[in-house]
Amino acid sequence: MTRNSARSEWLKRNRTRVAVLSILAVLFVAALGGLETEDWFATIMQGLSVGAVTFLVASGLSLIFGLMDVLNLAHGEIFMLGAYVGWTIYTRFDTAVDVLVPLALVAAPFALLPLWRRLGSALIGPGWRRAASWGVLGSGLLMAIGAVMQFPLVIWNPEIYAESPITFSLAVDLGTLAPLPADTWGLPAILAILGVLAGSALVAIGFSAVRPRPGAATALARRQAVWFGAVIVGALVLHAARSPINEWVFGLSTTWRFMLAMVFATLAGAGLGALIEVALIRPLYERPIYQLMLTLGVGFILIEVVREIWGRPEFNMARPAAFNGTGAGCPGQGLGGFFSGCSTVEVFGGRLRVYNEGFVVLVGIVVLIAITLLLKRTRIGMIIRAGVQDSEMVEALGINVRRVFTLVFAIGSGLAALGGVLAAPSIGLSTAMGGLLLLQALIALAIGGLTSFPGAAAGAVLVGLLQQFIIRFGQQGISIPFVSEPFRPSPTLVPAAGVLLMVIVLVVLPNGLFGKSDR
Amino acid sequence: MSLLRLEAVETFIGQFHILEGVSFEVAEGSIVALLGRNGAGKTTTLKSILGITPPSGGRVVYDGTDITGWRSYDIASAGIGYVPEHRAIFTELTVEENLRIAERNRGEFDAKCDLIFDLFPDLKRFAALDGGQLSGGQQQMLAVGRALVADNRVLLIDEPSEGLAPVIIEQMIEAIRRLADHTTVLLVEQNFVVATLLADRYVIIEEGSSVHSGAMADLAPDDETIRRYLGAV
Repeated sequence: MTRNSARSEWLKRNRTRVAVLSILAVLFVAALGGLETEDWFATIMQGLSVGAVTFLVASGLSLIFGLMDVLNLAHGEIFMLGAYVGWTIYTRFDTAVDVLVPLALVAAPFALLPLWRRLGSALIGPGWRRAASWGVLGSGLLMAIGAVMQFPLVIWNPEIYAESPITFSLAVDLGTLAPLPADTWGLPAILAILGVLAGSALVAIGFSAVRPRPGAATALARRQAVWFGAVIVGALVLHAARSPINEWVFGLSTTWRFMLAMVFATLAGAGLGALIEVALIRPLYERPIYQLMLTLGVGFILIEVVREIWGRPEFNMARPAAFNGTGAGCPGQGLGGFFSGCSTVEVFGGRLRVYNEGFVVLVGIVVLIAITLLLKRTRIGMIIRAGVQDSEMVEALGINVRRVFTLVFAIGSGLAALGGVLAAPSIGLSTAMGGLLLLQALIALAIGGLTSFPGAAAGAVLVGLLQQFIIRFGQQGISIPFVSEPFRPSPTLVPAAGVLLMVIVLVVLPNGLFGKSDR
Repeated sequence: MSLLRLEAVETFIGQFHILEGVSFEVAEGSIVALLGRNGAGKTTTLKSILGITPPSGGRVVYDGTDITGWRSYDIASAGIGYVPEHRAIFTELTVEENLRIAERNRGEFDAKCDLIFDLFPDLKRFAALDGGQLSGGQQQMLAVGRALVADNRVLLIDEPSEGLAPVIIEQMIEAIRRLADHTTVLLVEQNFVVATLLADRYVIIEEGSSVHSGAMADLAPDDETIRRYLGAV
């Protein structure tokens, strides 16, 4: 086949797609033509900013749906939780340290699962196996929870204004927040540490015995023992060095603390995602409808958890210092102005916010490149791409696909949580933030093609641009020939427009812009 | 001693009782062909060995170990390679990636690529193409080649000649013969002639049960057994 005929073949097969993309391009140019230069650049950047946050949520959804056929309806709530965890790292790092210690102690015994498996099968007879292992699991859980409650935890109190998250948020802005001391080595603390460790070991034993996995008996690898030791030592060091660590973090600038918040929220999201996959999604791969309902339920539970811990009121997260400068020399001028430390920058005569239109877009691009590289250049990426097509065959090659499922669920949830932290300084924290974004991400996915990763990016950017252009035209009005009054799209049209675009694209291209036809 | 042994294996798919008692042995170094009509349960037998459709009764014994109920990646890792029907290669991955993904230990592909490319020179030529761009015959070669990357002691090959041109079938027969020099092969084959050319022994599966087995050489095309279980050849 010559190159020319190959090209015409491709054109023929993608006729509709090319047509739709050209119509979108023409509309885009027409929309630009209706605006002043200073306006259109700003509008595009605002659209990209919204698109970047949407993309962070949509990309995870797309990876998870593509590989596992699970539509994770709790994804928006993981986004929300990311914002709240990020806020906590940002404003109350002392609390984060307090929580990290018991968390590490709970996680550590799970590194020794092969050992527990053997112990379990030696101690628990086959006759009473099920009941006994549930019993062990339950009592371990009670013990661990009881011990965690004893942990010296420094926390806010949403009921009292002076100790509420809102007050702490303001204190960060004013720079008056200081860590609180806690009792570290008292008898209760030591008992709590031992209790958590023992309780979680029991949970691990019960867990490994409830669902025994036949297979080649695996010995305890040295690596696992090293992990166990390292996590325990790490937790104890963290516990002992609590005060100096807190002092140090509270001394950092808000910019560095925000970076810490991004890292920790991503990790927390990833950990939560992995936990959800292993404990809840995994037993239900044969029952997709149950999975869907389960993720919906998990979303509601997460909202209640947030209400319980952080309280009901919505609050703000102060923008990090590097993107919040004012005064002499501000706003920054030109593209270099993004690095001036000012909160705003003037480009092509339009005023942009450095954080929203600069940093958020930058992070979105970095994540897009990183995930693309992961998919295209690494063995894990190869396995993911193969698994999207036929995960049964991948497993038949001797690859532990479930581990890859867990990893992808963790990556997707981590990205959503990262999106939450990124969005928090501009849209604030509320328990409703997740649901809105999930809807937006789902629309973006449907437009781009459900299982296509580039499609998720394109759909997210499209939805973001559309939204911002409609908002802009709502302010300016579109002059329509033969009509004296310019047409002003009302704000209610903003969410409707995304849905409308989705409907139009899906009618013409049922698999979305970049989706593959049904397998 | 047999390398692979099935003892009264029963398998359900959903509520359908597909395998109702399949028993046979595969001796190390031999090529065994599973024969039978469409829907008799030949493919399900392979999938039950691999744990893709886990058996609900009976035992699968591999190399002296009972592997019934193991996860399919554990079974595959124990040394059982699989070439599924309909050339289930990964169409979105390049030819080279299709082979590399089968590595269980780092560097296996580089060690085996000479053998694989020697058997199927086309794969070397098109290494950079996507799997989906290959012809049907080349995809089948890729599926077989993929099963050769890791150190497998048994290969389960499902319908290697299905839908291929005669020239390609000849090439495939030659390749399977050569790789059988150092691997044991369990084969599902509709094409009786291909089965006779390849296999040492046969097992006939009829309505989910193994009903007959013997040496391939004893099975003539006009045999009563053939007519009864396979229809006219």
